[in-house]
Amino acid sequence: MEHLVQSLILGLLIGGVYALMASGLTLVFGVMRIINVAHGALLIASAMITWYIWRATGIDPFLIAILMTFLMFGVGWLLYRTVISRIGAASVSMSVLLTFGLALTIEGLLNVFAGNKFRSATPSYFDQSFRLGGLIFPKTQVYGATVALVMLAALYFILSKTWTGRAIRATSQNPTSAALIGVSATGVAALAFAIGTATAGVGGSILSVLYPFFPASHYDWISRLLGIVVLGGMGSLPGAFVAALLLGLAETLTATYISLQWATLVFYMTILVVLLVRPQGLFGSQLREDVAA
Amino acid sequence: MNKISGRSFNRRKIFGLTVIAAAALTVAACGSPATSSKAAVATAPTVIGISLPLTGDFSQPGTQAQRGYEVWRDMVNANGGLLGHPVELKITDDASNQDTAVADYTRLITQDKVDLLLGTFSSLLNFPASAVAEKNGMLYVEPAGGAPTMFTRGFKYLFFAQPAVASAQADVFVNWIKSLPVDTRPKSAAYATQDDPFTRPVIESMQSQLEALGIKTLYSKVYPAETSNFQTVASAIAAKKPDIIAQGAVFEDGVSLVRSLRQVGYSPKALFQTSAPGNGSQYSTGVGAANTEGVFYTVSWNEKANTPLNKEFVAAYAQKYNNEVPAEDAADAFAAAQILQKAVESVGSIDQTKLADWLHANTVETILGPLSWDATGAPQSSFILAQWQSGSVEIVAPSAAATTTTVVYPKPAWK
Amino acid sequence: MISLVRALFSGRRALVVIFVGVLILYPVIRPYDIYQQTILLLAFLLAVQSVSWNIISGYAGYISLGHSAFLGLGAYTAAIIAMHTGVNPILLAPIGGLVAVLAALVLGSIVLRRRSHAFVIITIALLLSAQAIVTNWKSLTNGSDGITLALPSWSRDIQAIPFYYLFLLLMLITVVFSAQIRKRKFGTALLAIREDEGKAAAIGVNTSFTKIVAFCCSAFFIGMAGAVYAYFITFLNPIGMFNILGSVMIVLAALIGGRGTLWGPVVGAIVLQIAGEAANVYGGGSDTRVLLLGITLVLVVLFMPKGLLPTFEAWWLRRHQVTVEFTNQIGALGKGRLEFQNKLKLPTPGAEPVTLLDVRGVSKSFGGLTAVNNADLRVQAGSITGLIGPNGSGKTTLFNLITGVMPPDKGEIWFDGKRIDRLKPWERGHRGLGRTFQVTRLFNSMSVLENVVAPLPDAAWRTLLSSAVSGHEADRARHLLDYVGLASFADQSVGTLSYGQRKLVELAQVLMMEPRLILLDEPASGINPSLVEKLAGVIRDLNSQGVSFLIVEHNIPMVLKLCDPVIVFSRGSAIAEGKPDDIRRDPLVLDAYLGDEWKEAPAAHLRPVTELRNIRGV
Repeated sequence: MEHLVQSLILGLLIGGVYALMASGLTLVFGVMRIINVAHGALLIASAMITWYIWRATGIDPFLIAILMTFLMFGVGWLLYRTVISRIGAASVSMSVLLTFGLALTIEGLLNVFAGNKFRSATPSYFDQSFRLGGLIFPKTQVYGATVALVMLAALYFILSKTWTGRAIRATSQNPTSAALIGVSATGVAALAFAIGTATAGVGGSILSVLYPFFPASHYDWISRLLGIVVLGGMGSLPGAFVAALLLGLAETLTATYISLQWATLVFYMTILVVLLVRPQGLFGSQLREDVAA
Repeated sequence: MNKISGRSFNRRKIFGLTVIAAAALTVAACGSPATSSKAAVATAPTVIGISLPLTGDFSQPGTQAQRGYEVWRDMVNANGGLLGHPVELKITDDASNQDTAVADYTRLITQDKVDLLLGTFSSLLNFPASAVAEKNGMLYVEPAGGAPTMFTRGFKYLFFAQPAVASAQADVFVNWIKSLPVDTRPKSAAYATQDDPFTRPVIESMQSQLEALGIKTLYSKVYPAETSNFQTVASAIAAKKPDIIAQGAVFEDGVSLVRSLRQVGYSPKALFQTSAPGNGSQYSTGVGAANTEGVFYTVSWNEKANTPLNKEFVAAYAQKYNNEVPAEDAADAFAAAQILQKAVESVGSIDQTKLADWLHANTVETILGPLSWDATGAPQSSFILAQWQSGSVEIVAPSAAATTTTVVYPKPAWK
Repeated sequence: MISLVRALFSGRRALVVIFVGVLILYPVIRPYDIYQQTILLLAFLLAVQSVSWNIISGYAGYISLGHSAFLGLGAYTAAIIAMHTGVNPILLAPIGGLVAVLAALVLGSIVLRRRSHAFVIITIALLLSAQAIVTNWKSLTNGSDGITLALPSWSRDIQAIPFYYLFLLLMLITVVFSAQIRKRKFGTALLAIREDEGKAAAIGVNTSFTKIVAFCCSAFFIGMAGAVYAYFITFLNPIGMFNILGSVMIVLAALIGGRGTLWGPVVGAIVLQIAGEAANVYGGGSDTRVLLLGITLVLVVLFMPKGLLPTFEAWWLRRHQVTVEFTNQIGALGKGRLEFQNKLKLPTPGAEPVTLLDVRGVSKSFGGLTAVNNADLRVQAGSITGLIGPNGSGKTTLFNLITGVMPPDKGEIWFDGKRIDRLKPWERGHRGLGRTFQVTRLFNSMSVLENVVAPLPDAAWRTLLSSAVSGHEADRARHLLDYVGLASFADQSVGTLSYGQRKLVELAQVLMMEPRLILLDEPASGINPSLVEKLAGVIRDLNSQGVSFLIVEHNIPMVLKLCDPVIVFSRGSAIAEGKPDDIRRDPLVLDAYLGDEWKEAPAAHLRPVTELRNIRGV
């Protein structure tokens, strides 16, 4: 019984981190209808940069996360302006191909510059845990989940209370009308993409502590995140949050009680089942059929 | 009036193109079969083709293997080369990817036309690579790749440069447990192994042997190769509180599991891991020097062993690589090269079939000890049991090879 | 003999013949170049996959990033059977192909039922799931231990040659297969689905069925190639066989060469394979392979999405110009009567009017907006019924409900005595319901003739497999094009047509279906008055042969002259119905739509139009 509670809590903690990582992906889709398959690679890139900074300076990776937010925001902005914006109004499939190419490029660059080796940031408290009764919470998990939740709260605040955030939400719901009331579609898109990449920045810093990673790890991550975003409903942030917790739990419980090997299958199955049975996921909205040309 | 776009070619152009194409082909015609012999020039180097996982999942043991090969090459060339020819190693990186390993060896054989081959690291990669060598009738001595299924294919040119295959590797550890008085023996065990053709047979054979001894299996799981987070495994094991934990690890996973066990605060009476603890300072840095105390592993080689050329090997390695102690993988690679060298020198040529026949019929003295093979290429000796004690590695069994009589058991708690 | 040679070496075929000839002769001339042969045979293998991929992703536009799974399926099938029975995997190739097709059938039936923008994601998930399943199903597949096969039995020195010819043969067969598909109405149906799936459904293409068949077609040869590949590589493992990079290579090869073209994927595959090997050897090995793949993919998608062959073709066309023709206005719609193949039943004069289309209490809402509100509407067989009403009154939505673009929230729709509101759009089309669109929807990547040939009047296999470029269907299409005055445009690309010409092509498309009831959505908008007159004449002519019409129009004079009865729609339902003159005077109608001025001086409003009549060149 204790073990079950332990597993549940571990699952929720990791779910919180997944939620942060998935938020950027779903935000970008909501605003631009682009499935950014490179999101996983951006996570790994951020993890790698965090690792290097930690190795060189000894600063705690969770603190480096703050720096990564701004750094990756800039990277995201640049990426949007130079690459993503060129795809124009092309189909979803082409945007997947483009971002997939981007992911491979990022992986390749990491391979060349950092080498294809496992890395893991190990701050001093790495092997320590909080104990509560018979339950054990590794400090890294707890700190990671905390940072993730703080960032999610900040994201929520930006989206609901600031003008920028409202502009993003407006464009996400109806780009034409948003343009009519003075919201620049390209400006908002760049902003949304940059914010999405910034969340990947923080997520990557957290990742560097929680999981050993190497350049090709992005496949595992994008599979997870796609599963979460699809379940939650593409474009829905509350959906991503709920789905992340659910899938975090599902993954941990499957690994503990069934088999580690089937744990990875959880995300693929989620993608397939949801897209076939209820394509809008838990909280996504259904598109008007005849408007889509 | 519509003018359809001119898509028809000029007749003359077609004829011209055909003539040019035919001429080009005729000029470039012919070539010689791969098996025709080459005229050997006295000072031309003997090229040995090797593919190794220098990057990717197996990069740690892969780079060690490269070092082992290179130390051997330097030694051989300092002593006049192989049959009078200087040795040149042609090493490519297969990034721990099977298809790349296959492509690499295919190219080395058919395009670069190397004289000899040496194997790559891990059963996963050696599996297909050895098939390429066999298909081309070339000797294949591998420093790693002890999965039993390697040797059920009826290959004639395959030889494994370690004392025994994977399913026999755990025997020495089981024997040690048998040697303990019954009341101090561990009562329960947990097994976790990577889904790897090498590590699985080791752990599976250990599990069945220990179960036969009456040691209860409390946990037994196989994890995918790309697993990087071992918290679920560690907390599941910790909940069961087994006396022994045995892990079939390659390297990263071995380090990660120890870390996760520390996080959940569970330290077993005995910890056995394949391969990972054999990586010297990489391992002790990874898990923390104080936490290596008492970790068991089976090993094919020990730097203190009194086998021919071992002292020279260790010294040469230390000189070339920053005073480091060689990892087991480097030693295995060196041994593989030694085997190849011995065969070539004994046969007096690089006729691959003669080399294979000679090796089937003879024993070779290597830094791992004497090695001999059955018809399938499986070696016939046994492994030694090693344990980390006070920050360095000691051999604890069998007694003939032991460097100490102390055995740390039970394992102290994590620091 | 001479004529055969001449035929072989004419035009484009010459290039193909030389190309194939060189490939066939290469190992004969240089039998010991194992390395080069290996690169080429791997290129042929990639080409088989890319050409097959092209069928579902190039022609039909459903991009799959999981296609290498079929190679893995075929390989594993052959290997497992070979392992247990000792049969040579090459002989098991057809079984490999069959398993791949079965998998495609099962998966396609689930995944391709609806229009899906998420297909690409689904294929990725399927590929990775397949990898996980094959890894874990140890009893069948040996898991990550992999399956090792016996080495090929032929001499080492020429070890690659048999595989070279096997893969070359497979590649050529696949190309021929793809060409055959393209030439038939199956091919035009796929292109139609890619361009505009909704419109394809409206012209009788059973989109679900067609897509599933295409998916199966795209799997067969890859499955066969998989079996041969297993024998070639002698060692199978889940990670290598179900690798997503393999799928990326397939897509990249097709994109580089030209997605949707016939030989594009072949050219792309050879280019990519050779470039990849060069990068491996000269560019620092596998370290940089991923980087180069990624950069290439990004560059190709951004800057050369059409690929090499179409870009080259466009360049070629620019140097060999074609003169554009203007529509023969006099000739358009003036070529006499159009005879329908299947004569329609004419209503006997004096008999009870038969209701052809019966809309009963239909409603449709979008979120909070009610577009159609409990609407009732009847079209009598043999009539030309007009439907007028202000913008936003729900007319187009009503059309969409009738033709099946979306299901109604409430109510029933009956056509020709049968209930149709649950039927798919193509089923309604097959029953004789045709429609044009407010903004013309044509298939831009096809020629004018192909556009008109594309409609499928029935669900028979024979129709789907009939040729789109010659034969019965093509002749019918040419006849229709002649009727609308666009015969000389038959081979031109639709993208070069003017607005009025496009409307005429769309009309020809509808007529290809030989419908009983045609719904025209603003047919007169955007075309000049004399053409409007001609159009009205065509409608009357067709009507005299038994075709009924329901016309939405804002050109009131045309409606009042042409239609009887006229139904007025406002705020989602019909508010009036009657003879044109009655409608013109109905106060409700005037209030809702025509406006008070209309009642007073209609003639005054017509004057500006008649004054313009004398100006030429309009």
